[in-house]
Amino acid sequence: MAASAPALSIPIEKRKSVEEERELVRMAQRGEEPAFEELVRRHQQRVFALVGGILRRQEDVEDIAQQVFLKVYLSLRKFDQRAAFSTWLYKITVNECWDYLRKKKVRPLVYESDLSEEQVSRLDGIVSAERVSLNPNERAEVKQLLERMLDRLPEQDRQLLVLKEIEGFSVQELAEILGLNVNTVKVRLFRARGRILDGYRRRLGSAERYGANSAANREG
Amino acid sequence: MEMEIQPRALACREYETLLADYVLGECAPVEASRVDSHLRGCRNCHAALEEARAGSNWLRVGVPLLDKSPEPRPEFARLTMARIRSEAEQAGDRSGFWQPFVVFAWRFAATAMVALVILLTYAVRGHYAPRTAAGLQGPLADVFAPDPTRVPANQDEILIMVAETDHANGND
Repeated sequence: MAASAPALSIPIEKRKSVEEERELVRMAQRGEEPAFEELVRRHQQRVFALVGGILRRQEDVEDIAQQVFLKVYLSLRKFDQRAAFSTWLYKITVNECWDYLRKKKVRPLVYESDLSEEQVSRLDGIVSAERVSLNPNERAEVKQLLERMLDRLPEQDRQLLVLKEIEGFSVQELAEILGLNVNTVKVRLFRARGRILDGYRRRLGSAERYGANSAANREG
Repeated sequence: MEMEIQPRALACREYETLLADYVLGECAPVEASRVDSHLRGCRNCHAALEEARAGSNWLRVGVPLLDKSPEPRPEFARLTMARIRSEAEQAGDRSGFWQPFVVFAWRFAATAMVALVILLTYAVRGHYAPRTAAGLQGPLADVFAPDPTRVPANQDEILIMVAETDHANGND
């Protein structure tokens, strides 16, 4: 009996918080500013994560987040609460980010100098071996290479991966925010994971061949 | 130094969702064994799975090293509300500038409406009002509606009176 109590209390707590949020939205719709400020406080962290995840840049995140809350405030009276407030808010956030990217015409970064085949191959070996600890140099190199891999991905793949893996959004949340089916999100994430090494596969392949040839030469 | 993207292995469409769960170890045992047996005979799905595994490895090792999005400052909510208030005030000021013009336009429209109603009322009354003899004035009044008590002035008037009396009695 005692063991089942926490399991039962979770949905009740969740329901309470959902109801509380609906009440806050109703109050804000009546023009009560403290209620809207509370909504901002509750969701600011997720909005920052979403904006940062989509833009992948530190600057402008706060400005866009404020712009999002301003838009939400101005159109709050039209929100009929058929969907969760958070879903509506995150959709507005995604649209604001896409508008920003369109206006700024942000292009993916193109690196002047890239890592050599040997470096890439060595780092891939480190990652594949799932070594528990990396030295500071290896950590910096792995970080640098993963950032480049993500930047080379198509925009949609990169956004999905970043939101899921870095910012911690669930598949269910992503499906709601992007208006997609859960299975579609899963498949897109699967394909995006497969594409991470796309830009480096040729390099890895040639490095592996290079390694195999030199091993054969040594044996020969 | 942009690298050319290599063609990737495409997994079978009906197995892609299962593979997506499988690569993360989130497949139910029954489905996992179904995927296992499919993978033994499908090179494309096998290659797609290996690529996704390699990508997942990179994410598992590299993601903790990446910078997360910035955290909101403690005063973010307060600053946001201040911005909202200021924008709302500006919007109010903008509408305040046009307010006299709006009031004038409404008054003009209301006056025009009243004038239209009055004109329409007159027009409708004029159209449907019975054209009585009392409504006629001038020389025609004597011709079409002579005063019955008046003595006819000449022979023509006598003839008209006789004709009207006959018409009234139905002796056409």
